[in-house]
Amino acid sequence: MSEPERPQEGDAEQAPGSQVPAERTGGDYAPSVAERLALFQRAGGIATPLLTAAFAFFVGGLVVLVTTGKNPLRTYQAIFDGSGLNWLFPWITSEERTLAAFNLQYTLLLTTPLILTGLAVAFAFRCGMFNIGGQGQYTVGAVVAVWVGSSFAGMAGVAHALLAIVLAVLAGALWAGIAGLLKATVGAHEVISTIMLNWIALWVGSFLFTLGGPLQDSDQPGVPVSGSVQEGAKLLVFWGEPELQGLHIGLFVAIGALVAFWVMLNRTTLGYEVRAVGFNPEAARYGGISVARNYFLAMAISGAFAGLAASLDVLGWQFRISETDVQISQIGFIGIAVALLGRNTAVGIGFAALLFGSLLNGASTRNLDPEIFKPELAGNLTLLIQGLIVLFVGADVLVLYLWQLRRRVKLRVARAGT
Amino acid sequence: MDERPVLELRGITKRFPGVVANDGVSLDLRRGEVHALLGENGAGKSTLMNVLYGLYHPDEGEIRLAGEPVRIGSPKEAIERGIGMVHQHFMLIPVMSVAENIVLASEPRHAGLLLDYDAARERVRELSRTFRFAVDPDERIENITVGQQQRVEIMKALYRNADILILDEPTAVLTPQEASELFAILATLKDEGMSIIFISHKLNEVLEIADRISVLRRGRLVETVPREGATEESLARSMVGREVLLRVEKRLASPGEPLLELEGLHVLDDRGLAAVRDVSLTVRAGEIVGLAGVDANGQSELIDAVCGLRSVHGGVVRVAGRAVTGANARTMLDIGVGHIPEDRQRRGLVLDFSLAENIALHDYAKAPDSRFGWLFPSRLLARARRLLREYDVRGGGPQTRASALSGGNQQKVVIAREVDRNPRVLLAAQPTRGLDVGAIEFVHRRLVEERDEGRAILLVSLELEEVLSLSDRILVIYEGRIVGEFTPAASEEELGIAMTGGGRREEVAA
Amino acid sequence: MVGIGLGLLAFWLALPPLAARTVLWPILVGILAAAAGIWTVSRGERRIGWGALAAAALGIGGGILATRSSLGNLDTVVVWSTLLGATLRFATPLTFAAIGGMFSERSGVVNIGLEGMMLMGAFFALWGAERSGSWAIGLLVAMAAGGGLALVHAFFAIHLRADQIVGGTAINFLALGITGYLFIDIYGTERGTPQGIPAIPDVRLSFLDDVYFLGPVFGQLNLMIWLSFVVLVVSYVVMFRTPIGLRIRSVGEHPRAADTVGISVYRIRYASVVLSGVLAALGGAYISIGFVGSFAENMTAGRGFIALAALIFGGWRPFGAFAAALLFGFSSALAQRLPVYSESGALLFQSLPYVLTLIAVAGVIGRSIPPAAIGRPYRKQ
Repeated sequence: MSEPERPQEGDAEQAPGSQVPAERTGGDYAPSVAERLALFQRAGGIATPLLTAAFAFFVGGLVVLVTTGKNPLRTYQAIFDGSGLNWLFPWITSEERTLAAFNLQYTLLLTTPLILTGLAVAFAFRCGMFNIGGQGQYTVGAVVAVWVGSSFAGMAGVAHALLAIVLAVLAGALWAGIAGLLKATVGAHEVISTIMLNWIALWVGSFLFTLGGPLQDSDQPGVPVSGSVQEGAKLLVFWGEPELQGLHIGLFVAIGALVAFWVMLNRTTLGYEVRAVGFNPEAARYGGISVARNYFLAMAISGAFAGLAASLDVLGWQFRISETDVQISQIGFIGIAVALLGRNTAVGIGFAALLFGSLLNGASTRNLDPEIFKPELAGNLTLLIQGLIVLFVGADVLVLYLWQLRRRVKLRVARAGT
Repeated sequence: MDERPVLELRGITKRFPGVVANDGVSLDLRRGEVHALLGENGAGKSTLMNVLYGLYHPDEGEIRLAGEPVRIGSPKEAIERGIGMVHQHFMLIPVMSVAENIVLASEPRHAGLLLDYDAARERVRELSRTFRFAVDPDERIENITVGQQQRVEIMKALYRNADILILDEPTAVLTPQEASELFAILATLKDEGMSIIFISHKLNEVLEIADRISVLRRGRLVETVPREGATEESLARSMVGREVLLRVEKRLASPGEPLLELEGLHVLDDRGLAAVRDVSLTVRAGEIVGLAGVDANGQSELIDAVCGLRSVHGGVVRVAGRAVTGANARTMLDIGVGHIPEDRQRRGLVLDFSLAENIALHDYAKAPDSRFGWLFPSRLLARARRLLREYDVRGGGPQTRASALSGGNQQKVVIAREVDRNPRVLLAAQPTRGLDVGAIEFVHRRLVEERDEGRAILLVSLELEEVLSLSDRILVIYEGRIVGEFTPAASEEELGIAMTGGGRREEVAA
Repeated sequence: MVGIGLGLLAFWLALPPLAARTVLWPILVGILAAAAGIWTVSRGERRIGWGALAAAALGIGGGILATRSSLGNLDTVVVWSTLLGATLRFATPLTFAAIGGMFSERSGVVNIGLEGMMLMGAFFALWGAERSGSWAIGLLVAMAAGGGLALVHAFFAIHLRADQIVGGTAINFLALGITGYLFIDIYGTERGTPQGIPAIPDVRLSFLDDVYFLGPVFGQLNLMIWLSFVVLVVSYVVMFRTPIGLRIRSVGEHPRAADTVGISVYRIRYASVVLSGVLAALGGAYISIGFVGSFAENMTAGRGFIALAALIFGGWRPFGAFAAALLFGFSSALAQRLPVYSESGALLFQSLPYVLTLIAVAGVIGRSIPPAAIGRPYRKQ
């Protein structure tokens, strides 16, 4: 695909110096992630994510049809019902409503951490970085939360829960801060370092809870699981049965975090700096902003969101963590898809998290009727849809191209005017 | 000398959206001659050569090689037809050896599959011997000097049996010694029958090396003259042209106390080479000092160092009498240095920010924009609204993204921001680059007004007219040094000669 | 230098009077020494690096010998050879994937989708072998599947100029979904993979049977391990001794320079990315039908990321990556055996490759420098 030339770049004898790095790699201007996303937002608005998701579901439906011959619409409907979202419909029977309420509670239970791990990815994105380390930051937060929550037996409930949450948030921030610090000081790419930190967290976490591990529950010597969170430190369940994984108040914390995310970015000088660095680090530097400091802070704040997600899960409904939990958790990774689909905006992330939470729960073994569709298959279908969404969200080039075309036309008009 | 041209360009026209970069340019190249292509920045030299090298396709006109019309669709075809090009920014791979760079894409092989490194080395040594290049085939590119790198580029062309060699601003990156070595090499190549196109905007070297000289101005060929009889004055005149000057109405300056003082300033460029050498200058309150010079002679590095965006290698920077050498960008902003950067899109603006946010770029962290880290968007909007009106910015309101504005209006936003901070010193780097006439007038008028307000203004421009019409004093920078001081009464020719290193010899002699 | 010191320290730790109670410490320090050695060798300081490697081997060997000296000598040798054999088995999938990654990244395309491509290989090798009754066809199917997924990555990264990291993440999700879905759809949840799927055979070198030490290590290795050695040598030759390799490297360093001498940047990148998928898939195939003999969902369990780490740690060079893969394989092999000494310590050991790579990218001993144009889409003029 050959691009029409842009005269400003091709013709002008540019000053060396600032252009040298770009020149060395072929003179291409590779837009930062944040820039691309900004383009996407302008060019597509809400339509593009909707189309992307619709397309992914369409492909998923084709897969269902081709491989099993079952009606994809019925499958999707079953997943929808399994998610409990039908609770919102006024026409269902009261019996159905009880079940739906139960399902919806669980869906929202999953949505809560997804909002936060989505924010963990999005905040770094807004500073021009790709935080793949949400999973590791989540794990570290979970470890700290469960450790604090299961210790300090005599502490007052609310203070205990708060302490666990604050320390988990700090742990996540520190863990991500390592990557931010490396980027700010020696320029190590955050993608590589966060991937490495993910796996370090995974194995260290496994080590802590395995048989003979330092945090393994001494009351159950044969089970690789942590001790349980003290009764007092558990979060209040406001909808449903506390024993049956009812919905805890963490959901409001997550919604609060969405608001905080928006406020931080749009109403504070910190957010101003983060966005400036994300869009154009060179201009930010010119504006007197310390680029390195913002790389570190943005990563740390990202990690804080992930740590918060973990602490809410631990104190809200999991109460203990097993070695396997550490190894198979995907919450942090799904956060990537949530952030991308939600376009790194607060509202978008809220909806994307609800979508993925519903998918996860609706397609789970406990909720999907095997008569209609095998839940194990549906679980993988979810992954497939997730992959397609990320793939297509990443391929913004069409939008980018259209946008450039528009700008080029504008330039032409402007020039013609002179 | 064979008089039949090896290469002819006939009526080449290349248009870009809204710009005619080459307008019916015709020139020919004879066997064994050095043909210089002279012109200012943006005169269309590079475009013409990119057409010849197959990177661009001409909209009109034809190219003839040895009398045959040809169509050159890609660099590969150009190479196959014996055209070699030494780009201004070298097309070399720093982590690879000299030999690897030279043979890339036409490698000698043995056994059909393996790369024959011995043959490659031998071939490089051979070329190196023949033309006295003195380049070690096994050395890595990143470890050799810029001059040697350039020789490797020439060897790349020779290795591919080029008989036409294009050199794009070859001396821009060389030290004077390296440049004279290059000229010796070019003389040897010429004797071997190579035909050379030499692109430059330095008058003295063109007169030293070229057999014939073609001058381009605004995309058109002005004239082609033999070296004999050409003088720096005559060439400068046809290069610059006699255009109606954009005169600016202004009173005589009444300079006050010195606000910006540089003493023996040394600054390095990105590659760690000296870019600014021992520069001392003073700008007083209420005067505009113009820094004239050809592009890439240290102006950008000088400006960056003064506003804290690049470290100072030696010397002193004083603002309003206070030594602030090596202070960071924040400090420089705070003590009253304003800066209209040369590239408003890369540096001056965050294109994805709204105008209000862009206007707050330096002061977002201070009252009234914010307090205790809390931003007040309504106050940003209010200020933006006022400034956009005051500076007559059109095409959008405070909430419009900067990228949606035309270049002239973007520049007005930058100027509004810088001037509204009430700086003592204002650095204006190519403030009218890429603007239309109306916008240029606005910028010029505004700069003079700010001068009259008592600011010290340092103006960097590649446009002589601009420097002459705005400045109260003019300094000429060449290869990182101040090589002369002029009054605005100086002629363009005088300045042009100093800017291209021409007047230097006399000055040194005097 | 640090390596030599650490290696000697490891040896010393094991000897009286310290006589470390567990074998853990000398091994850990020894591995650090070896890592430092590989690091230095792949940075060009060969002599010092090899010295560190030797000291590390001496340290680990001495450490184990010293701590187990109460047992019979024969026993120790058996342990040693088993350990080395296990190291090779763990290292092989990493070698394939890391070398695959090298091709992709040397051409300028980041490939964090290696994990997914391995997983595709693992599943489709099994499926192909089961359907056709031949492991060889299984391998071919795996290669096609890995290459196919890589082609998707290449298309998005090269033609659509999508962000390569987002693309790679998507590739990993997709592979998880595709393999998991097909696995359950075809084999179901209860039954799992059928028994008796044709496995890749071992190569039996009977003449080594009685050779001291070499016999137990090399006498009976899987064909794929030998193949990985071949791939290693061939890819080294291709990358550094042929015109093709020179062109791949030039495209990854400075695509415009390559373009101006007539190299097709797109074609080279496509070929390199697809090749990386094919090789990664071979690594995955070894896991499923060479080593384990069955498939499980997400069975590669992060090995693609260890391969990525090995690639970075080895400085984007085949032998560097191989040495790193061996080292990481060794730590996995140890982790498997260590439970004898400490159950939990073994898990901690698994994080070693990642810690080392993190240190490497942090540039404590000198930066690992990636190809200059990596991750940047190329736009033709």
